[in-house]
Amino acid sequence: MPFGLGPEEWAALRLSATVAFWCAAAVVLPGTLCAWLLARKQFVGKGLLDILLHLPLVLPPVAVGYLLLILFGTHGPIGGWLQHAFHIEIVFTWKAAVLASAVVSFPLMLRSARISIELVDRRLEEAARTLGASSLRTLLTITLPLSLPGIFAGMVLAFARSLGEFGATIIVAGNILGETQTLPLALYSLLQRPGGEGGALRLVAISILLSYGALALSELVAQRLRRVVGVER
Amino acid sequence: MKLELQVEFARPSFQLAVDLHLDGNALGVFGPSGAGKTTLLHLLSGLLRPRAGHITLDGDVLFDSARRIHVPPHRRRIGLVFQDARLFPHLSVEGNLRYGERLLPAGERRIRFHEVVELLEIDSLLKRPMQHLSGGERQRVALGRALLASPRLLLLDEPLSSLDHRLKAQILPYLRRVHQALGVPLLIVSHDLREILHLTDRLVVLDHGQVIGQGRYLELAQDPRASGILRTAGLLNVFRLRPVEHCREHGITLFAFADAPADAETVVASYQDGGMAEIDAVLRPEDIALALERVERISIRNQLPGEIVNILHADGRILCVVHVGVDLLVEITYQALETLGLGPGKRVWCLFKAHALQQLETAAPADAAQPAPPIPAGVLRQGPA
Repeated sequence: MPFGLGPEEWAALRLSATVAFWCAAAVVLPGTLCAWLLARKQFVGKGLLDILLHLPLVLPPVAVGYLLLILFGTHGPIGGWLQHAFHIEIVFTWKAAVLASAVVSFPLMLRSARISIELVDRRLEEAARTLGASSLRTLLTITLPLSLPGIFAGMVLAFARSLGEFGATIIVAGNILGETQTLPLALYSLLQRPGGEGGALRLVAISILLSYGALALSELVAQRLRRVVGVER
Repeated sequence: MKLELQVEFARPSFQLAVDLHLDGNALGVFGPSGAGKTTLLHLLSGLLRPRAGHITLDGDVLFDSARRIHVPPHRRRIGLVFQDARLFPHLSVEGNLRYGERLLPAGERRIRFHEVVELLEIDSLLKRPMQHLSGGERQRVALGRALLASPRLLLLDEPLSSLDHRLKAQILPYLRRVHQALGVPLLIVSHDLREILHLTDRLVVLDHGQVIGQGRYLELAQDPRASGILRTAGLLNVFRLRPVEHCREHGITLFAFADAPADAETVVASYQDGGMAEIDAVLRPEDIALALERVERISIRNQLPGEIVNILHADGRILCVVHVGVDLLVEITYQALETLGLGPGKRVWCLFKAHALQQLETAAPADAAQPAPPIPAGVLRQGPA
């Protein structure tokens, strides 16, 4: 194995990257939609919704994990239904790890998208309306393209948050070697084991590299996006 | 275009209540800043919703509070050119121009792309990134973008106020050209009388959210309610001049009033060699003097005979309306009025110096890329030879 990594460590690395990717993919649409609602629409209960959507940011991740376990467990209201209707099992699979990190990183996606939508000049949206664009078309052709840098930044945040997710994941996905054991979980397991310090250090190094790479890549993409979108901020 | 508008609109610090029945092809809304001009346009375009009232355009109900009708802006087909061009930064110039056009079914596109590009001379800009456009170019693209959505009515919200004087002179002819060539009804809002008068002399005067006058400019200037506001903005004579003869040796051009009857004997001359295009000239009422007869031994060559139509008194100032083929506003003092024994029906001569006559802009935008030349202009009376 290259870099002196064992197969377990490789599995953890691959799993972490996969989970983080799907987490970012999963939060982008609902996060942007909620961001648009909060940034541009007035409705009853907006304040309550705002707090509710931000809850995962302040709740202990273990509490989030436990809630998800109740909801998505094979006997839970959502998990039971998924099992029954589609034969899909969530808990203690890698999908649960995606679910856990998606829920925990949702507020980060939301905040980033919301700020960039709020920064889109409403007067441009007004101009689009007078040119014959419905509000949906205005959203799709003006607001979203112009807030793309912020939406992308939100995805990167979600990706990064997922790489570090521990508390909710261990509750809802477990710590199954090669199946749900992501980098932080593998690190934890190594630390529990006598003589695991060397492996733990290697995992720390990998984590740093991975995060650094992701952030650097995102900065590059963000720069390009800002140029394409024509916004210099 | 027939527009009926009876709306009430309220904001904590501002109230607007307007009742207007307008028809005609070009209308101006004049008023000081904060009069509610922009609000009025936003109500018309549907970006704002009135508290009560109704709006109909050519028989189509756009808003009716009693019947709970509020047609959303994108279904009104009312174009709006904003003060700040509001071009979409993520689209190319062509993308901007075609934004509204693309949303129209092909059968409803009355205005052709190449036609607009040609009229506004934006051919060379099409592939340029948005950031590299000058202020005047941006405003031209914005105008083209609004036109290509084939609006039934085009609203212009101080379209020139963000531009400097030179750029204004460049854009004005395009506005006029577009209006004449494409026949799109216009409603222009401005706090600058010149901009409006360049396109139309039919005005609505707005102040503090209320209509205080409506009609032709010269009528409004004589209307006690509206004239106050018009006066604070500075009254102007604006008329169109048609070149008759150009004398290259002396650098003068003889002009006739374009709107006067053909047999009007007055001919106007200007020192500029402006070619043979029609121009809009501006003359301030306080720059004209009145004489009871032609003055021979004087340097002023511009002497137009006419008849006093009306005399107005306001704030110790006297305003005469003199018909010299077109109606001219002339401001004189009370002493002059007394001494000369002026009154309606009296025949007088209007005198003014060459430099008092200013050109609104060069009417033909052929050399729009160059700054408009300074125009020392003068007017000559060419006696019946």
